[in-house]
Amino acid sequence: MKKLLLLALGVVLMHTPVLASDFPFGNFTVEEMSLKAYEKDKTANAVVLNEFGKSWISSGDGIPLIHEYHIKIKIFNSKAFDKGNIEIPLYKSDNNSFERVRDIEAVTFYTDDNGGVQRLAFNASNIIRENKNKYWDVVKFAMPGLRDGCIIEYKYTIESPYTLNMKDWTFQTDIPKINSEYEVHIPGFFNFKATLVGPLKLTKNTGDLERECFQVRGSKSDCSKLVFGMADVPAFIEEDHMTSPKNFIAAIDFELNDYVDPYDGTKHVKTQTWTDIDKSLKQSDSFGSQLKKSGVFKDKLPLILTGATDSLSKARAIYAYFQKNVKCNNIYGIWSDNGVRKALDTHSGSVADINLGLVTALNAAGLNTEAVILATRDHGFINKLYPVVGGFNYVVAKVNVNNKTYLLDATEPYLPFGMLPERCLNDQGRVMSLNKPSYWIDMKASQKWARTYAMDLTLQPNGKLTGVIKNFSMGYEALSKRKAIKKFNSIDEYVENLDEKNTKLKILKAEVLNVDSLDLPLSEVYEVEINLFDNMNNNRMAFNPFFLNQISENPFKLAERTYPVDWGAQSDTKVILTMHLPEGYEIENPPKGVSLGLPNSGGRFLTAFDSQSTTFTFSHVIQLNNAIYSSDEYPYLKELFNKIIQEQKSDIIFRKKS
Amino acid sequence: MIKYILITGILLTGFAGAAQNKYEASTIPKELLPYASAVIRNMEITSEVKDLNTSIYKHHEVVTVLNKNGDTNAGIEIWYDKNRRIKNIKGTVYDEFGKAVSQFSERNFNDYSSYDGFSMFTDNRIKYYKPAVVNYPYTIDYEFEISSKQSLNVGDWKPITEVGTAIEKSTYTFICKPDFIIRYKQLNYAGAPKESITEKGLKTYTWEVANVKAIRSEPFGPHPEMYQPIVKVVPQKFNYLGYEGSFTNWNELGKWVYDKLLAGRATLPPATVQNIKSLTDTIKDQKLKAKAIYEYMQRKSRYVSIQVGIGGLQPFTAADVDALSYGDCKGLVNYTQALLAAADIPSYYCIVEAGDLKRDLMPDFASVAQGNHIILCLPFKNDTTWLECTRQDSPFGYLGDFTDDRRVLACTAEGGKLMRTPKYSAQESTQIRKAVLELKPDGELAGSMTTIFDGWKFDNRPVNPGDINEEIKNTKKNYGINNLEIENLQLKAVKNLKPVNNETIKFSARDYASQAGNTYYFMANLANRRTNVPREVKNRTTNVYINRGYTDIDEITYNVPEGFKLDSKPLLVNLKKPFGTFTATAVKVGNQVVYKRKLEVLDGVYPKEQYQELVDFFQAIADADNYKVALVKN
Repeated sequence: MKKLLLLALGVVLMHTPVLASDFPFGNFTVEEMSLKAYEKDKTANAVVLNEFGKSWISSGDGIPLIHEYHIKIKIFNSKAFDKGNIEIPLYKSDNNSFERVRDIEAVTFYTDDNGGVQRLAFNASNIIRENKNKYWDVVKFAMPGLRDGCIIEYKYTIESPYTLNMKDWTFQTDIPKINSEYEVHIPGFFNFKATLVGPLKLTKNTGDLERECFQVRGSKSDCSKLVFGMADVPAFIEEDHMTSPKNFIAAIDFELNDYVDPYDGTKHVKTQTWTDIDKSLKQSDSFGSQLKKSGVFKDKLPLILTGATDSLSKARAIYAYFQKNVKCNNIYGIWSDNGVRKALDTHSGSVADINLGLVTALNAAGLNTEAVILATRDHGFINKLYPVVGGFNYVVAKVNVNNKTYLLDATEPYLPFGMLPERCLNDQGRVMSLNKPSYWIDMKASQKWARTYAMDLTLQPNGKLTGVIKNFSMGYEALSKRKAIKKFNSIDEYVENLDEKNTKLKILKAEVLNVDSLDLPLSEVYEVEINLFDNMNNNRMAFNPFFLNQISENPFKLAERTYPVDWGAQSDTKVILTMHLPEGYEIENPPKGVSLGLPNSGGRFLTAFDSQSTTFTFSHVIQLNNAIYSSDEYPYLKELFNKIIQEQKSDIIFRKKS
Repeated sequence: MIKYILITGILLTGFAGAAQNKYEASTIPKELLPYASAVIRNMEITSEVKDLNTSIYKHHEVVTVLNKNGDTNAGIEIWYDKNRRIKNIKGTVYDEFGKAVSQFSERNFNDYSSYDGFSMFTDNRIKYYKPAVVNYPYTIDYEFEISSKQSLNVGDWKPITEVGTAIEKSTYTFICKPDFIIRYKQLNYAGAPKESITEKGLKTYTWEVANVKAIRSEPFGPHPEMYQPIVKVVPQKFNYLGYEGSFTNWNELGKWVYDKLLAGRATLPPATVQNIKSLTDTIKDQKLKAKAIYEYMQRKSRYVSIQVGIGGLQPFTAADVDALSYGDCKGLVNYTQALLAAADIPSYYCIVEAGDLKRDLMPDFASVAQGNHIILCLPFKNDTTWLECTRQDSPFGYLGDFTDDRRVLACTAEGGKLMRTPKYSAQESTQIRKAVLELKPDGELAGSMTTIFDGWKFDNRPVNPGDINEEIKNTKKNYGINNLEIENLQLKAVKNLKPVNNETIKFSARDYASQAGNTYYFMANLANRRTNVPREVKNRTTNVYINRGYTDIDEITYNVPEGFKLDSKPLLVNLKKPFGTFTATAVKVGNQVVYKRKLEVLDGVYPKEQYQELVDFFQAIADADNYKVALVKN
């Protein structure tokens, strides 16, 4: 979904005079004012009539980055009034270095009750500045005079000291845009790469040369003026079961390639090749240096490894040590926050503190381990068109034991060895080691959502079912269940809650095993009594064999999909029901076995029935063999669920033998 | 009491090291452990009014966290703003055996703006810290102090802080000068506070609870004020950020709000007054005039939450709201009141505790801490009308389930008056659904279905439907009908004084009936199936509370292919309970399967012993809703 724009520096640039390409502020046309709906999307509550942004590196003191933003929105009805609440986030690193906003102008045009158009200027005294946290301020204002059919327009300028962080541009949002244009002026001292994200195409993409547009202390340079435009941008509509919308929303992202310091002429190559990135990561205090802190573990290792003889048990012991001893503060990133040592001392650390520490400790124990940097699912896919570290926001460990590779994340206490949390299952990650060039690996689930239910139940003469239900949960299913169990103070409380939640079911005895043995399947065995029939006075009785595992609603409701269905991991459900009927009963309509499949072995649904005198067995299997289903496969997936639901409606009829 | 102060004195000068065994987890009384993930060993809250402009709130807490679920108890969140300043935060973490393992202070805290995802503008801030401890159980002992420049809000005491937390001991002490008069209100607290005089001659009142077991959340539980110990204290004379006042009852409080917070804020620009006059000149009826003005205000303005200025108590001026066309509840009510006044229609600015769970202002205890929202009352003779001013789509006179059926305070020139907002009864809050449908031989179901929503159920459908594709998507989600394809959707709100919402869908659902051999199966209840039943509660402690009643009626007629007979037992369920009634029938008549269902749930408080009956009631409904029609070929 990402395309590298051919148009970057180096392409021969045309020399054209600089033209002001922003649209004039404070104007409206009669057509705009009287517009009742947007022709191309009649259902839109608002449409962006025009949007223009311009970024340039100024010749001013400290060569700040200047970003101008200007937008005009037609609001059709009150559902879009939130477009009139403006928030401008401003980054700050300390008291001396922060972004600031200036020249805020805003105006609302509306048609008054007499049919005249009123212009309502905005009063700057209504701007509020909020100190959100250590790194962000937010400037907020609300547009005055919103009414159905009004037009709001505002512009502002941000001055940023972070010259090297060129502002990205988002073309697509939750309302359609008639036109959106972004103009970037880059002095020859700087070399950025631009990437187009998403499936939509640019309708305007030009590059021109501007002579001597940049000048500081005698150094001069030409600039390249790049214009990116998109017309008729549709609204972005999110779908269920998808990865980050960021992968699909049309946008231009910038990444610094290299630059020459205009003050002293020194050249700074930012990451260009993976070799450069590997080197800079290795040398970084918050990455490579942390991987060398094996001394931190010198005293600890013998104790951690007590009893562990082979490599695998050593790896498991170290992994478990991190899981138990350091709490994750949920700060993501590839850079260590407070360092490995402090994380161990304070029992608290970021993802990088914990997992870089894990890599280091495993290496210190003589196990071949590398760090893997990746992007989490909500962060979007990694841009693999060119080497860049900016898109990574997470790091895990990769240990090789006996020619087998295990990916480890010690930030979650209930994650078994070798399994990654769902958030990490996103495309590919880059393996970084201290002594080898880096390389890509797939961030695929090593385990499934897997569950097996085995029920052995007897229908009693009073209409109740008694017997045993066994549940085995593996992989992601076990993880989610362990988390659910740990929400209770004890297993007894968990079982009590289960009993209370299932009002027709009474749990007479429970055994829940392996809650803390993360590498084993979680096993739950319940001796139960179920209120099935009020009595047995009828000659025929309907029984639904899916009564405890029924899917009642198709999770997919859309006729078609634009984006893939992404479930992170495969899934596998097996249910075996063995049932004993009272003497003198038989089955009137033994169900036929069903076998349904998705194309390309993408998944299947099977049922099987078998009976011997008054005992019968009914089993069913639902398998989804892909973690990701493309929008082309979607109709089949939806239909599979439809068929499953269909099938689950059929009852088995018991009748008294005549 | 002297002893108590001495303990505080020691604690302030360094409690670590002294009597360590009190932090030992094993000393928690065993009877406090069930359902507890944390135990408050000792919590001491003191609130002192030094003078009208200064009050000091002190919080000292020792809490033992038994497992990961109790970690929230160790999270310390302190709200402040420029008028509420934090002082002296410090604390110590102890291990299971009561040995101090680390200490923390203000520099460990993170600082945030209290962005609530709701208020556009707010000046509240939060300091937050949670010590990271990996071995359970552990204990933290911490304290902090807040000094605020007012004496109106001195803090309510609610010792039960959350579900799953037991209490060994918790006290609240209010300190003031001997001549300082307070009123207090005790809820579910037996006995009177201990009163005494300190060495310095200050008057103290102390409330205490001890050995309180952890509570569980119970479905259909009443509001905490109905069963938890709570104490509210209000000084008679106070200063609130420069606004002095005194009150002892609602009348005086209403008068203070009217005179001090509202006075002089209702002036409108002459052009707006003129607008209102020309808008209403031709209308004779007062109520229709008011309606025209209300709708003018709705068209012209929108709601933006603003929690700045004097503690969120005083509205923006009417002139400001007129110029900006936005405001919060206070600003919009004050503005609407001013617009109505321009047409000589009197109205009351009313304080209400809004929210889905109904709350009354306490008739015998006036305080500003009760009430979180403002609505407008039009005192027409024998026809009192209420207006919600923060919604652009509310029908005139409709409050909905945000502020219905509760006691509110009208702030008038003559002082405060307690009034009651209207109730939507179970009988008038109906959802009536009718459909005549065709079941085709291939199992497809098609036809149209109409539903009418009344009373508080009016809001179950949008008043101003947006994007029709979006509405169709929502409608598909509302109904658990598989393969639902909506050919046509009509949503129409009738915005009368008794508003109703209408929904008509023309639809088809492929495979609605499934076939197995020569039998068709389909669910008789098409669109109103109850799948979730409230969980059972062993040893329930609270009464059963049904907040709002309603009546659902479904009548679905299926025209089925010829030549089939009913193979399932006809459905016939009839339940009658104190809290509701339920009937459901499905019969085959000719080539029609006729399904009828009526559920009536009655609001009210029922004894806790009836809870299991309620569970059984809903389970029986869920079973009946799961009824499948089986049609077999003749």
